[in-house]
Amino acid sequence: MLEIVRIHNELLGTYGDRGNAEVLKYRAALSGIESRISDISYLDPLPTQADIYLLGGAEDAAQLLSLSALKRDGELTQAVEKGAVLLAVCAGFQIIGRTYTSGDEEIEGLGLLDVVTNPGSRRLVGEIVIDCELFNFQLTGFENHSGVTTLGKEVTPFGTVVRGNGNGINGVDGAMNGNIFGTYLHGPVLARNPEFADLLLERAIGSKISYGEDALANRYASWHRNTGKND
Amino acid sequence: MVRPRLAIATALARSASWASRLLGNNGETLPGRILLRIEPEAIALLARGKKVILVSGTNGKTSTTKAVAKIVRQLGEVATSGSGSNLSWGAANALMAKAPYAVLEIDELHLSHIIAETDPAIVLLLNLTRDQLHRMHEVKRVADRWHAECTEATDTLFVADIDDPFLNYAIANAKKVLKVSFGGRTHPDGAVCPKCGSYLHWDEEKYSCTCGLTNNSTDQPVRLCEKGSAAFRNATLANIVGEVLGAKPLAFTDGELERTVTKTFGSKIAHFRLTKNPASWTEALKAKHFTDVILVLNAREVDGIDTSWLWDVSFISLAGKRVIVCGERGIDLAYRLHVEGIESQLVETFAAAILLTKDNEVSVLTAYTAFFELVM
Repeated sequence: MLEIVRIHNELLGTYGDRGNAEVLKYRAALSGIESRISDISYLDPLPTQADIYLLGGAEDAAQLLSLSALKRDGELTQAVEKGAVLLAVCAGFQIIGRTYTSGDEEIEGLGLLDVVTNPGSRRLVGEIVIDCELFNFQLTGFENHSGVTTLGKEVTPFGTVVRGNGNGINGVDGAMNGNIFGTYLHGPVLARNPEFADLLLERAIGSKISYGEDALANRYASWHRNTGKND
Repeated sequence: MVRPRLAIATALARSASWASRLLGNNGETLPGRILLRIEPEAIALLARGKKVILVSGTNGKTSTTKAVAKIVRQLGEVATSGSGSNLSWGAANALMAKAPYAVLEIDELHLSHIIAETDPAIVLLLNLTRDQLHRMHEVKRVADRWHAECTEATDTLFVADIDDPFLNYAIANAKKVLKVSFGGRTHPDGAVCPKCGSYLHWDEEKYSCTCGLTNNSTDQPVRLCEKGSAAFRNATLANIVGEVLGAKPLAFTDGELERTVTKTFGSKIAHFRLTKNPASWTEALKAKHFTDVILVLNAREVDGIDTSWLWDVSFISLAGKRVIVCGERGIDLAYRLHVEGIESQLVETFAAAILLTKDNEVSVLTAYTAFFELVM
């Protein structure tokens, strides 16, 4: 049984990222993998044995609360040290970095990714398309943030921004290191990019999976890729 | 005293309104724009001498404004914006009418400056949840603006449903308030206290924070009302506003307060309902629907250009229905339903969708722009 943990959705659920868990479960089933979603609230302890952990986007105060709980308990750090997969979106991406700025205050993050986020001069809102050379697919999504995230030496960007802003610096979006992935893409990102969902499942299982066919998922993904190029 | 520039502006705006109607538009936006271009202070000038009532909130603004106008009309003529035109120019246009009262629907992000300009007698705040985040950015950002203006406007009475913690925070420092509670309800974005940023503790449908923000009626003067649907709550709030002004309460059907419209297409009777964000979809999906259900999704500016929120709505109540999806972003909705286990038929247009229905009566849940195109 593959265990997917949706962390603090009541806090990190502002931009629809809860859908990432549902898409993972759906894609897993298509490939014949049984899975379950655990919703872990701010008040609950986080399990450390799960396979995939998900963090979503949030407003400032909620982001700070979520980070304080994750720091207090330290379980997410233990889980990724054991090799669990972590996908962190937007506010989630910022809190797993080294530091980010909230208001005028520099906040120490979880330090799971070698990135630093500073406040940008304007809010970056709109459709975003990135070419992900490493995995040979294009990712589409929607961004809505004002952070500018600079990557350190230990991480690789997710891809080159073709449309939109992403990290807001150097024309790239996201960061990854091993099984830890951070990105600014909402949509939710796994709904709009089924290949990415499959990649996370493979990472969690540790081997190739036999992809199930889903015509509607493919149609949806290509619809956004084609629209993203044209308008 | 009428300022000459205002008189000229009003005259020009009136002709524009007439011309705009002739061209088949609602005639509310263009004249307001002209008016404000020529006389930027038109809203403040035209509001003078009127008792102004403003209505704002994420959902239910248009229908509640109509209800308040209907109630206040028992007391005298009412200047009002009927069609959901809720930005500055909509307000300016409505205020041109000569009347002792003005009842105006105001967009969430425009409320602060309209309060400052019109010095309203009453502001009715309905609810505040996620909507058009590409424009609002964050719910808290809107609540902060309201909080600042409510604190500032010391002559205005704020009537607010404090079961919504964002509204309770918005009026927390206001001088004149009438707090209403319907016995509590959960809030989709209510996990953090909007006042102090702590984790907000909910006991079923009641919240209370260590900073003092709560909807418990034992801790503060609150008008307690019966529980009910959003339509019921809005009708109750409208009547409370009427009561403050001295008007008799009126009875409203749920339909009057739900943005529902029935329209015939050939032999089919389609019942339309406006749905535009997680809260209004969730409310609409609670209602009873016919076996044939058409869902229409667009993602233009006023619909919200980001469709990610679809994943915050559970469509499971549509299981077993014949679901047909259309609209410019129908594909986003069809895939969201698919992952929840609901298979739909996906077509481009409403005209194609209605042909696929089997029964005579059809439920249609539709996004903002599509609603206006199909039923207005």
